[in-house]
Amino acid sequence: MFVWIPVFPLLGTLLNGLFGIKYFSRRAVHSIAVGMAGMSFLASVASFIGLLSSSEPSTVKTLFTWIPGSLVHLLGGRAAQVSFDLAFRYDSLTAVMTLVVTGVGLLIHIYSIGYMSHDKSYARFFAYMNLFTFAMLILVLGANLAVMFIGWEGVGLCSYLLIGFWFTKDAAANAGKKAFVTNRVGDFGFLLGLGLLIVTLGTLDTAGITAAAEGGLLSPGLATAAALLLFLGATGKSAQIPLYTWLPDAMEGPTPVSALIHAATMVTAGVYMVARLHALFTLSGTALTVVAVVGVLTAVYAATMGLVQNDIKRVLAYSTISQIGYMFVGLGVGAFSAGVFHLMTHAFFKSLLFLAAGSVIHALSGEQDMRKMGGLRHRLPRTYPVFLIGALAIAGVPGLSGFFSKDEILTAAFASKHYFVWALGLVGAALTAFYMFRLIFLTFFGAERLDPDVGRHLHESPRVMTLPLQVLAFLAVAGGYIGLPHVLGGGAWFGKFLSTSTGAHEIEISGGAELLLMFVSAAIGIAGILAAYFVYAKKAGAPAARFAERFRTLTKIVSHKYYVDDFYSHVIVGGVKKLGLALGWFDAHVVDGVVNGAAALVRRLSKISIGFDQEVVDGAVNGIGSVSRLISQGLRGLQTGFVYNYALSIVIGIVIIISLVVTIL
Amino acid sequence: MIPINAVFGLGLLLFFIGLFGVLFRKNLVIMLMSLELLLNGVNIIFAGLSHSLKSPRGAIFALFVILVAVSEAAVGFALVLSYFRSKKTYDVDEMNELKG
Amino acid sequence: MINVLIFYFFAALALVSAILVIVQKNAMRSVLYLAFTVLSTAGIFLSLQAEYLAAIQVLVYGGGIVVLYIFVIIIVNLQEIKAERRKMFPKLFIFTLPAVLLVQIVNVLFTNRSTPPAGTETGLDFRTMAEMLFTNYLVPFELASILLLAVLVGAVIIARRRLVNDPD
Repeated sequence: MFVWIPVFPLLGTLLNGLFGIKYFSRRAVHSIAVGMAGMSFLASVASFIGLLSSSEPSTVKTLFTWIPGSLVHLLGGRAAQVSFDLAFRYDSLTAVMTLVVTGVGLLIHIYSIGYMSHDKSYARFFAYMNLFTFAMLILVLGANLAVMFIGWEGVGLCSYLLIGFWFTKDAAANAGKKAFVTNRVGDFGFLLGLGLLIVTLGTLDTAGITAAAEGGLLSPGLATAAALLLFLGATGKSAQIPLYTWLPDAMEGPTPVSALIHAATMVTAGVYMVARLHALFTLSGTALTVVAVVGVLTAVYAATMGLVQNDIKRVLAYSTISQIGYMFVGLGVGAFSAGVFHLMTHAFFKSLLFLAAGSVIHALSGEQDMRKMGGLRHRLPRTYPVFLIGALAIAGVPGLSGFFSKDEILTAAFASKHYFVWALGLVGAALTAFYMFRLIFLTFFGAERLDPDVGRHLHESPRVMTLPLQVLAFLAVAGGYIGLPHVLGGGAWFGKFLSTSTGAHEIEISGGAELLLMFVSAAIGIAGILAAYFVYAKKAGAPAARFAERFRTLTKIVSHKYYVDDFYSHVIVGGVKKLGLALGWFDAHVVDGVVNGAAALVRRLSKISIGFDQEVVDGAVNGIGSVSRLISQGLRGLQTGFVYNYALSIVIGIVIIISLVVTIL
Repeated sequence: MIPINAVFGLGLLLFFIGLFGVLFRKNLVIMLMSLELLLNGVNIIFAGLSHSLKSPRGAIFALFVILVAVSEAAVGFALVLSYFRSKKTYDVDEMNELKG
Repeated sequence: MINVLIFYFFAALALVSAILVIVQKNAMRSVLYLAFTVLSTAGIFLSLQAEYLAAIQVLVYGGGIVVLYIFVIIIVNLQEIKAERRKMFPKLFIFTLPAVLLVQIVNVLFTNRSTPPAGTETGLDFRTMAEMLFTNYLVPFELASILLLAVLVGAVIIARRRLVNDPD
């Protein structure tokens, strides 16, 4: 059954892509796209139900052998038949991912009907969206890393296509390129990791890897190397340090794209991959630590940058980077299910936030700068509430989903004695709350700073857009309860459910300590909200402005994204470009010089040969002709025409013959 | 018996008389007649040899020589006639159109 | 004995007539002397006991060629030609070469020869000659007849007048 899940989006892509652009009406296009997304969701639900009711924790369906077996000599002396099948696995982790992808995806597809209704490349958009869904599903359904890699590359491609959807705009095209290239750098690490796994284990099957890692077939050193290489790929895909720079630029794409790809799904691919290979990562303590540290650093780092952004979508972009950092923290401290839990809740509230922001932008006829917004909460009565819910969720206000997932991560960090990580995580939480509510207050509260034109055209979004928002808002609130921890009376069903695929993780912490930690993180979140309220709502951002004045250099650095982007483009990209130019010069001058020199030499030799031919050879031929002519001139004299001369010649002839005969005889 | 050397001498003399006639005369017809003399001389030698060797082979050969002489004479006359009709001369010194 | 005398008589006659042939200015007279020469040669043949040959000589040479010559002279209307002096150099050549030839031939003819093989002595009579002609020399005999045919046709073609509508 679960094999059917990716089939529907693929069908949708083919139909819309091949025919939709030319022949279908808008209604047909979005019906197909949304219909397929819906079918895919239904299939996911059916598979989920099937999994719940079956006793098998995981099912594998092999379609065919993709790369047939060949003998590979592994490190360590063994030899194994290495082959890759096109196979899919469905287990609890897959169930969570497919439900999130198809469910949130379906809502976003519905939203897009309204958002993209004015766009002229309607069919192309939906074709790409379906294609992305297909690729992401392949990624999560893959039974071995090779199939996962297909999906991995596929989502990267779709990200490029969708970010640069409005490719006539330079900024969009460049952003798409940047995303793809940055991803590529990460994929390089991913491929190296794959190669390392092949030569050490002889298989890329995730179950096989898990078995090998747990069975001790893998040395920690090799495990660390492989894990770190794979994690490099994850940083590219999931926009962590050092490969995060593409995500803010990716906001050039349409807002539904940002919601789907850069909030809910693609950026979570890295998290999924680490969770899938939990055994491998667990084997290497170093790798886990790296993951956690990178995650928390990214979380804080991105949050600081979110503080100074003025574009509403950019704030959300940095927020995404930051939240994914949290997911990696969860993974890095060993709480794999916690990380996945946060993935799910983040999908809910982040896509909600993006879509709601899209609604605001749509209402404001394309305005994205928060400095030109304000006081919209009365003007957008349907958008404002859901936006607020999303913001509350991300800030970690208790009762909403974000609180439960973030808290679980922080508790796990504390419990596994990663105190530094925990502390930084708290700082990040505070910052998150602060910048999020800065956004809320700037956008929805205070005096209206709108452009007059924009103000006149202000209108609430159509039903087709606000309905998905409301569904997501509901999920953002209620979605956390499936992971309600024991200490609060819940059954922690999420963790239990996921433990079949990510391994059970026991947190050694007393109930009291857990409650205390919960209280602390809640307090931090609320403190952040209040601080934002004071600065932006009460005092209209004056304290912030003063802060910026006093710490002008700091502000400058942060608002220039710590100059990381500039560093990358000048040093790395510029360096590569210079190398390319140098090599090009070398080729043009040195290599071509040799070639041209050889050609000149040949030309000179041929001139000599021509001369030889003309003088000597022709001379000989002409000479022969001259000799013939001389002889014939001489012999002509014999033909006098006089008969008696001929008679005389006869006589002479007779004389000669007789002399000859006589002498011979 | 006729001494063979006498026959030889006679034949030779006739031959050379004919030869001189061919080389020295300018009249085409007389040149041709001298040719006949040549052939006659040769025939005499053949007959003499036939006589001395008591074999008819010489005579047969002489017969053939006469045959060829007749053919050649006939053709030669035809040529002379046709040449004379166009050129109106039989002076061999003026017959130099084959000059190469 | 008579043979020898006849031979010498005819020999002398032949020589004289031959010389007269080549020195005459008048073509008609040359022809006359040619006739004499031919008949003398026939006589020589008789004395050499080649009767058939003598007969053929008279018939063919005398009756055919000499007559032919006379006809040609009449048709061509031969006039006397004034002898022009040739240059010295050719004359010298003309004398020396025949002289050399003469010396050579004399050399060949008058040196001693080996005796011919025995089987060639078959007799000079006419019957033997005829037999030999029709057995050993049959092919040349037939070829000769073809030759005569060719000459007949060729001479006619060469000598005929050019007609106005002549396809040749």
